[in-house]
Amino acid sequence: MTYVSFLRAECHLVWRRKQNMVNSVLFFLLVVVLFPLGIDATPMFLSKAASGIIWCAAALAILTSVESLFKEDYHDGSLEQWLVSGLSVPILVLIKMALHWLFIALPLLLLSPVLSEVLYLPDNSFWPLFMSLMLATPSLFLLGGIGSAVTVSLRQGGVLMLLIVLPLYLPIIIFATSVTKAAQVGLPYDAPLAILGAIFFVSLVVSPLMTAISIKASVN
Amino acid sequence: MQSYVSLTLSNISIERGERDLCKGLSVVAQFGRLYQIVGENGAGKSSLLKVIAGLLRPVEGEIFLDDKVIGAAMNQWPQDCLYLGHQYGVKRLLTVEENIRCYCPNASRENIHSALAQLDLLPYQNTPVKQLSAGQAKRVALSRLWLSDQAIWLLDEPFSSLDVKGRALLESKLEQQLKRGGLVILTTHQALLRIDAQSIELTL
Repeated sequence: MTYVSFLRAECHLVWRRKQNMVNSVLFFLLVVVLFPLGIDATPMFLSKAASGIIWCAAALAILTSVESLFKEDYHDGSLEQWLVSGLSVPILVLIKMALHWLFIALPLLLLSPVLSEVLYLPDNSFWPLFMSLMLATPSLFLLGGIGSAVTVSLRQGGVLMLLIVLPLYLPIIIFATSVTKAAQVGLPYDAPLAILGAIFFVSLVVSPLMTAISIKASVN
Repeated sequence: MQSYVSLTLSNISIERGERDLCKGLSVVAQFGRLYQIVGENGAGKSSLLKVIAGLLRPVEGEIFLDDKVIGAAMNQWPQDCLYLGHQYGVKRLLTVEENIRCYCPNASRENIHSALAQLDLLPYQNTPVKQLSAGQAKRVALSRLWLSDQAIWLLDEPFSSLDVKGRALLESKLEQQLKRGGLVILTTHQALLRIDAQSIELTL
């Protein structure tokens, strides 16, 4: 196995499982549509709540898809093969996460302009929202990957995974929504964006290493 | 293929959960020979293979390749070692050829073709593995034996779900590996028909 052949096989795999992508997009859309129906569909309310709704929906969609990131690899013995391949497991993990981000989070990003129109998001807040999604959804994947790897060998690991990962998601969601909140009242929003960037870089370094350690522990 | 003389397990003790498996096991495995790990269910056959493959850290003991110590965190070692576990890492959604190309990216088209022909998988080259039978999926995993040149093969139950013809084919492949100076360590409950196997006994 080489990094290139691994990447090629993973590309084939995500393509064969395109229904996962459709599922997460549908889930995202449903949450966004149900929110106004359930609370208040007036432009007054929605324009204030839009960024929060889009962010919660995106975080939930990513959380549900990241949960099973390594499940199949664990059950068919691929994780063992990663470990004995002599390749660096953190890099394999990073390749896999990057690919899944492209397939799951990118469609959500592409939908966000439409949804922000639907939810009456003020025009001046769209770019801040888009940038916060762009910077922070990779962190959601990277941090979710750790939880997914820790619980991969457990039969009912889903809830435990949520408990492990949600505290890590909270600061990301808080800073991401404060970006658009600041933009809506005309304040500078560089600081929360910079913090999101910092979280991304920290998780880019830490998460593959932690995930690799968890995979090693799960395989035994 | 790099050539070695021996793989030495020295005073290996393995622990799974609360149980001790193989306390103080010492074996010198010579290259060019086949070693069969024998023992009852739960005696730790697969765990011992995992320890040798570096997937599991023994509680005690060391493993030497010739006179070089190799531990659970080794670098040079995996290139010379092919480990096929109970689950052998074949992706059900990928086709036979895509699976092989993932693990053996350097194999030439002709080599893959001839390996598939020997394994009776040629008609299924572009079939997803999930549509194959258990024995055929096993053959897909075993095709790596035909296509890579590691010196050490660690095989966990390689004969399971193979038919008579498949068993004979695998045994002749194992013989070839021994002839070119490789080492094979495997677990199986069936007796090997053609190869004179050394046994590594594990007791509960």
